[in-house]
Amino acid sequence: MKYLAKDDSKCIQCGLCEEICSSTYFKTKDKAKSCILIANDGKPEINVCNQCGKCIDICPVEAIKRDKLGVVRINKKDCVGCFMCVGFCPENAMRQHDDYIEAFKCIACGLCAKKCPSGAIFIAEKDDSEAKERVCAD
Amino acid sequence: MDINTLKEGRKLLTEYKYELGKLDKGYTDRSLYINISENKIDSKPVTQMMKDKFVGGKGFGLWYLWNGTTPTTKWNDPENEIIICGGPVCGITQYPGSGKSLVCSISPMTNIPIDSNVGGYFGPLLKFAGWDALELQGKAEKDIIIYIDGNKGVITIEEAPLEAIDSHVLAEQLTEMYADNEADKRNVSVVTAGTGAEHAKMGLLNFSLYDTRRKVTRFKQAGRGGIGRVFRDKKVKAIVVKFSGVKGNLNNPVDQAIINKAGIKMHKEMHNLDDKQNRMRKVGTGYSVEIMSAYDLLPVMNYQYGGHEDAKKIGPDILINNYLTQGLEDGCWYGCSMACAKTADNFELQTGPYKGQRVTVDGPEYETTAGVGSNCGIFDPRAILEINFYCDTYGIDTISFGTSTAFVMECYTRGIINKEITGGLDLKFGNFEASVELLHQMSRGEGFGVVVGQGIHQMKKIFSEEYGADPDFLFDIGMEQKGLEYSEYGSKESLAQQGGFGLTNKGPQHDEAWLIFMDMVNNQIPTFEDKAEALYYFPMFRTWFGLYGLCKLPWNDIVPEGNKYTSEPAKIPEHVQNYLDVVYGVTGKRLNTTDMVRESERVYNFQRIFNIRLGKGLRANDRVPYRSMGPVTKEEYESRQERYDGQLKEILGYDTEGKSTEEKMAVLRKHRENQYEKLIDAVYARRGWNSNGVPTLERLKDLGMDLPILVDVVKDLQ
Amino acid sequence: MIQIIKLNGRDFPWEAGMTVEDIMNKKNFIFPKIIVKINNQHIEVEDYPTTIVNDGDNVQMIHLLAGG
Repeated sequence: MKYLAKDDSKCIQCGLCEEICSSTYFKTKDKAKSCILIANDGKPEINVCNQCGKCIDICPVEAIKRDKLGVVRINKKDCVGCFMCVGFCPENAMRQHDDYIEAFKCIACGLCAKKCPSGAIFIAEKDDSEAKERVCAD
Repeated sequence: MDINTLKEGRKLLTEYKYELGKLDKGYTDRSLYINISENKIDSKPVTQMMKDKFVGGKGFGLWYLWNGTTPTTKWNDPENEIIICGGPVCGITQYPGSGKSLVCSISPMTNIPIDSNVGGYFGPLLKFAGWDALELQGKAEKDIIIYIDGNKGVITIEEAPLEAIDSHVLAEQLTEMYADNEADKRNVSVVTAGTGAEHAKMGLLNFSLYDTRRKVTRFKQAGRGGIGRVFRDKKVKAIVVKFSGVKGNLNNPVDQAIINKAGIKMHKEMHNLDDKQNRMRKVGTGYSVEIMSAYDLLPVMNYQYGGHEDAKKIGPDILINNYLTQGLEDGCWYGCSMACAKTADNFELQTGPYKGQRVTVDGPEYETTAGVGSNCGIFDPRAILEINFYCDTYGIDTISFGTSTAFVMECYTRGIINKEITGGLDLKFGNFEASVELLHQMSRGEGFGVVVGQGIHQMKKIFSEEYGADPDFLFDIGMEQKGLEYSEYGSKESLAQQGGFGLTNKGPQHDEAWLIFMDMVNNQIPTFEDKAEALYYFPMFRTWFGLYGLCKLPWNDIVPEGNKYTSEPAKIPEHVQNYLDVVYGVTGKRLNTTDMVRESERVYNFQRIFNIRLGKGLRANDRVPYRSMGPVTKEEYESRQERYDGQLKEILGYDTEGKSTEEKMAVLRKHRENQYEKLIDAVYARRGWNSNGVPTLERLKDLGMDLPILVDVVKDLQ
Repeated sequence: MIQIIKLNGRDFPWEAGMTVEDIMNKKNFIFPKIIVKINNQHIEVEDYPTTIVNDGDNVQMIHLLAGG
């Protein structure tokens, strides 16, 4: 399945990934509205969804599903804004911002990987048989 | 029966169109009045006075009930009402346990107001449909269904002769009927009762939620006090609400961010700590069955004993491993990460009209397992699940059913009643078949089941007047007070909890105060003043959940990591602050903990005076059965002889050497009854009531509750 | 002679070498949310088996449930 892979040791903390992410999805350059987050104190640490799909079972209205490529997506129309997915994400990679009443997350679109000057993030495939079983038709 | 046939049987009685409302700071500012005698539907304004003094939820319910009834109204008079109201926080999706409705009515069990706190989607959807509360009055001629379309702004009352009455069938029919498609089903919620509620006073209301994963309609229960009986007496089959388009901000809160913050913090807490604490997400409230047994608190055989070696057979591990489906998001409203509404799926029924069917059983909750299980000497999980299912679908309260059945089993065992009286039922402790047959009889309206369905208060009268039983002994062992059956904890060894049950407004239900550990185990409240303070603070604090549409469980069935280092760990200060933040977020009201208690105190005193208005609510009505405070029988004394002998020596300086059990029992009883009276004195004083349990005029004035209607009731009782 | 310590303000028979865990087992304190303090000092769960209770100690095992 498709996901955004990372190599913390290559990250130079330039923040271009965050910029492109929030600009693409929320038309603003605001780190707080980016799906990918780079720790800017101390050692570089890239925090982003690994598409594990734990949130799928947490959602009370089944608004979170895995698509054909294996990417976990939130259907905004159905989302009731409870943010349980945020609290239960094992990676702390489900995002929430008070300007919006739905959670948001990385969908492995790869735009940030294209911008990344050091190759610290890149689109990859991984085999996750458990996750595959849960792939939904839509 | 297919949906079209059901629809063809319908006859429209009235239709009412309304402007879709808009929520502001948690309120729609209007409530829905439906009179089914006259088929009249109306909108009533929610006034600022109501919000200031009654807040919402149970506060609004009691206020409407007071105004709709008179001092002589009986439960089955047409003017008796059923009010369903969520409260201003009800419906938010970020904080766990925020979808509760409070249901109020004059109870057939107690003939005073009852309030029952229930989950399910009805309360939130009613609010989003444009109504803070639903006030139902009158009596229909024939069975009706009320439908509220919260997207179109249409309400109908229709005669509905063909629909089922039992909840699991009826709710499926109506969910199917009113949903546009499968995805739309979660936008429909139904309030129903059941065939049992047509004959048993302990009838309850089921509030549905559609489970999109299991693809079944599930229920939470407004269980206590017989509101289901009132519902069926009014010939209401169901009330249906439909609203599609739920989002996380429909309450139109003042500050969404502060709500989000508190909610996400709680979700993380639940994720990180629940497994190490109560395992609510795995087993729900049933986690505590074995614990209660270990602490001598689990009611066994009509509260004679406090534990049983077989408790593990109905404990959490058995339920988790063999019955309860794991890993699903079992909240009873969106955003409840505590997710304690567990179910046993594909459960095959062994008895009754649905024998052989595979059903989803909601629960069992702790109260059910203890009530219909250990208290009746039944330690078989399948038996408990079967009774649980039939109680729910017939619309019978598992607590009243469990406690009443335990009572008749003891009466039967002691020869107070016999097979002739029970119609051949061998009602010895542990007999599942006899117990479940009582339920089927309640549903059919025949046999001894109908007698049991009237509750212990009525049975005591019948057994002594008709069968010559000793009324004093029945008073001692019949675990009811004010007409309501006790919920499922043994309170014999905790004086504070005797008050926690006995000094409640609606009857002995632990939702006001559960003080057993603080008192009996921790010894934190040794003096009468300490106990009185606890019996002031906790009932007020806990009343507050019912004003706002909140569930109590996320307050203390999970505790934050640093809680033990706080000044008052028992109050869970961080969670209390969360609630104050959430209320500010929704309503814009900045409350502190004192304000919080005062808000409750207004409604609490209102309810007390409501009881007085109906001829109860005085000291005499707070008397409790001796089984709740000490050993009634020799066997009970001797089962805890070491403890009781020790107490007689240490506390009373009584030399137990050479004394018979009867002699010792008499001395202990005198002492304990005396302690309870002293406790009452201390609690009344702390609550601002006189020695007869009447709120003083000064207290009412201080609370801003010196309303003329209240002063009128209490002024001559000062 | 049996020594007596205070457990939640009540007498409890003490034996030399007794740990927090021993007391909890003896009392059958199986509730999952208990705060343990010895002479007002908090004891962490992982230290229950190794923390020795001394003669004259004031032990508190506070069960955290005031709800029901």
